[in-house]
Amino acid sequence: MTYIAGVDVGNNTTEVAIARVDTAGKPDILSSSLVRTMGIKGTIRNALGVIDALDKGLAAVGLERKDLSLILLNEATPVIGDVAMETITETVITESAMIGHNPGTPGGLGLGVGTTITLDQLESTQLPGPWIVVISDQFDFKEVAERLTRGVSRGLIVSGAIVKKDDAVLITNRLHRSVPIVDEVSHIDRVPLGMPAAVEVAGQGKAIEKLSNPYDIATLFDLTPEETKQVVPIARALMGTRSAVVIKTPRGEIEERRIPAGSIVLLGEVRKESVKVEEGAEAIMQKVALVSPLVEIQAEAGTHVGGMFEHIRTVMADLTDQPVSAIQVQDILAVDTLKPQRVLGSLAGEYSMGNAVGLAAMVRTHKLPMQRLARKLEEEISIPSSIGGVEAEMAIRGALTTPGLKPPMAILDLGGGSTDASMINEAGHITSIHLAGAGDMVTLLIDTELGLDDRDLAEKIKVNPLAKVETLFHMRHEDGSVQFFNEPLEPRLFGRVVVLAGEGPVPLDIKEPLSKIVQIRQNAKRKVFVRNSLRALERIAPAGNIRLISFVALVGGSALDFEIPRMISDVLVEYGVVTGRANIRGVEGPRNAVATGLVLAHVNSVH
Amino acid sequence: MNISEEMVKQIIIEVLDQMHVTEGIGLNPDEDVPPVDMTETEEAKPGTDRNEVVIGVSPAFGNMMTKTIIGIPHREVLRELKAGIEEEGLHPRLVKVYRTADVGFIAHEVAKLSGSGIGIGILSRGTTVIHQKNLAPLQNLELFSQSPLVDLETFRSIGRNAAKYAKGESPSPVPVRNDPMARPRYQGLAALLHNKEVQSVDQGKKTMEISR
Repeated sequence: MTYIAGVDVGNNTTEVAIARVDTAGKPDILSSSLVRTMGIKGTIRNALGVIDALDKGLAAVGLERKDLSLILLNEATPVIGDVAMETITETVITESAMIGHNPGTPGGLGLGVGTTITLDQLESTQLPGPWIVVISDQFDFKEVAERLTRGVSRGLIVSGAIVKKDDAVLITNRLHRSVPIVDEVSHIDRVPLGMPAAVEVAGQGKAIEKLSNPYDIATLFDLTPEETKQVVPIARALMGTRSAVVIKTPRGEIEERRIPAGSIVLLGEVRKESVKVEEGAEAIMQKVALVSPLVEIQAEAGTHVGGMFEHIRTVMADLTDQPVSAIQVQDILAVDTLKPQRVLGSLAGEYSMGNAVGLAAMVRTHKLPMQRLARKLEEEISIPSSIGGVEAEMAIRGALTTPGLKPPMAILDLGGGSTDASMINEAGHITSIHLAGAGDMVTLLIDTELGLDDRDLAEKIKVNPLAKVETLFHMRHEDGSVQFFNEPLEPRLFGRVVVLAGEGPVPLDIKEPLSKIVQIRQNAKRKVFVRNSLRALERIAPAGNIRLISFVALVGGSALDFEIPRMISDVLVEYGVVTGRANIRGVEGPRNAVATGLVLAHVNSVH
Repeated sequence: MNISEEMVKQIIIEVLDQMHVTEGIGLNPDEDVPPVDMTETEEAKPGTDRNEVVIGVSPAFGNMMTKTIIGIPHREVLRELKAGIEEEGLHPRLVKVYRTADVGFIAHEVAKLSGSGIGIGILSRGTTVIHQKNLAPLQNLELFSQSPLVDLETFRSIGRNAAKYAKGESPSPVPVRNDPMARPRYQGLAALLHNKEVQSVDQGKKTMEISR
């Protein structure tokens, strides 16, 4: 009777399965353990994590290191993923033609049209107007209200106002007849004077109607068809806002510019295609499908995307002790996303959602130095160590211990850096594939679209559900259910959207409502995981037909996510595929597949 | 040695004279500020209006004392707090608390009187707290403990944030400035002002509604 251990070193976690093999060669897996991977997967530093995991697994069943007769390592799939984001559009306003921002509290209601004038000039003017008054921060709200009222009583027509400070409601409340007022316009000095302007404020929960319609703008300012064409971007930018100002300046315009981000060249086995990053994710992915199977992807040197590819190559070359030139990027996943960007030339510090493309790339090299790791382990703890088998095969062997599964079946391993899939047919033949884009990409998308600039927080938002703390004694979860508390919650959580992380609720300092954050999170997961699952299954399915796969089992850390399995299941059910989280040996859930597979494969080969 | 209160006062005043505490503030604390109209109407009752934020002032606020530690007239303080609340579409209500000069307890007491459950407590010298009725008195939503650093703009923001809490929104906390020199520079003066405040405390007197 001997004891052996299967060890799976992954990107994030190191997993161990300890087994007893009786004299008849029947394995009995006694315990398993899981620790964080030390260092980058495939490096010598991993040894520390492996030893730690072994000790944990052994201690659970009262064994010691010396009891082990063999350690089996996985032949780690030599893939590494990296992600990057490129902005491809920006909004530029020339000559301040519009202000379309959403101050929290604009004043008044409706539409006002007139000529822009300062508060001081309003005092002295003899013309009746109508006027749109531009109010700087040197005036107090009470004084503004008094001066406006005085002007009106002189017979002037005041049809609206643009205010620098957050005073709109205060001023409106002090006027005899309320007019639409837009406030918090930080660059009020840039508002041109003596120009025709329109101010619109919609009721709470509503969006403006007139200034978001090019024909209404044309009506208000008496524009020619040519000029109307030019205001289309203005109208589009103002859609959905609660308040807006449009000023007609002689040459003012707003335009959306595309930023050149470089191009990539896709080299396939039979053909070659080139695509510009600024054409968007859809165009890139179409070309990828066209060229598939890919051999290599090259990026234009000296561009943003070129820099990103260079970075991946360097990291990979370091890792594997190979020259940079030997590293080839073999798959990319491009995803369209939105990135909040400051509008150039804006008056109120407006943001617009610029288009961006997120790119995940994957590199394959000859072999990660797992052999070196095995030797290092032998030195450290004097137990024979060897490479037990290829990761994808081991994973599928482990997954097959799930009750209710039989070939032909496929597994989807949703990791951090890459999405892997393998398929086993009735004859026991295994095929596998590795695709770029997984958990890290989702984190990047969440981080970008919410404008967080904090990967750790984005990671928390990715893996945990949200809730809104409505009072100190209850919170409403994102599914609408309410949870009550006997003890009051911490004051810093009051009124906030919180992430229900393991260590307790974490408050988010984000203006977006809860529903919007949930939407962004789910879209990011769909764009990456659902898309990649289909992409991967199509590549390994018999004749490229997903319908011919009967069972799909999810393994790996992302299979534990609270919503990803359901999203994938929802899509695959259309193909008539049974989809679910694997349950390794009926006890482990989606964890420990490779470690278990290593042990089983070894026993099979010996006996 | 016996140290009487009178002696402490003398020492503080002498030290303060040498420190020129008002340098660079732009306000003259020596200037006399006229009192605010603090006409009391009735005993303050818990409100039912979800739309209100209650501002609770300390016993000496507005009449016995008329300006903050850096010389901001109390009239202006109230005006900005109220403006901040009004801009968000809520109604301010003003009450005076007599039984304590502890800002945490003042804020907590008025939060309990507030229909929205949100109250602002403020001391004569300018220390301010935003409170919620379900919190323990010594907890708070936002605390502005360094009174010399609370200016008019901050008071407006405090009013605005309190109103946002009352609406169930999640405002970013008002940035609290921190000046390590504020403590040594103002500690003596703050102690003096606190002494003065405490003289107006009447533990048997109910919290009173102030007419608008």
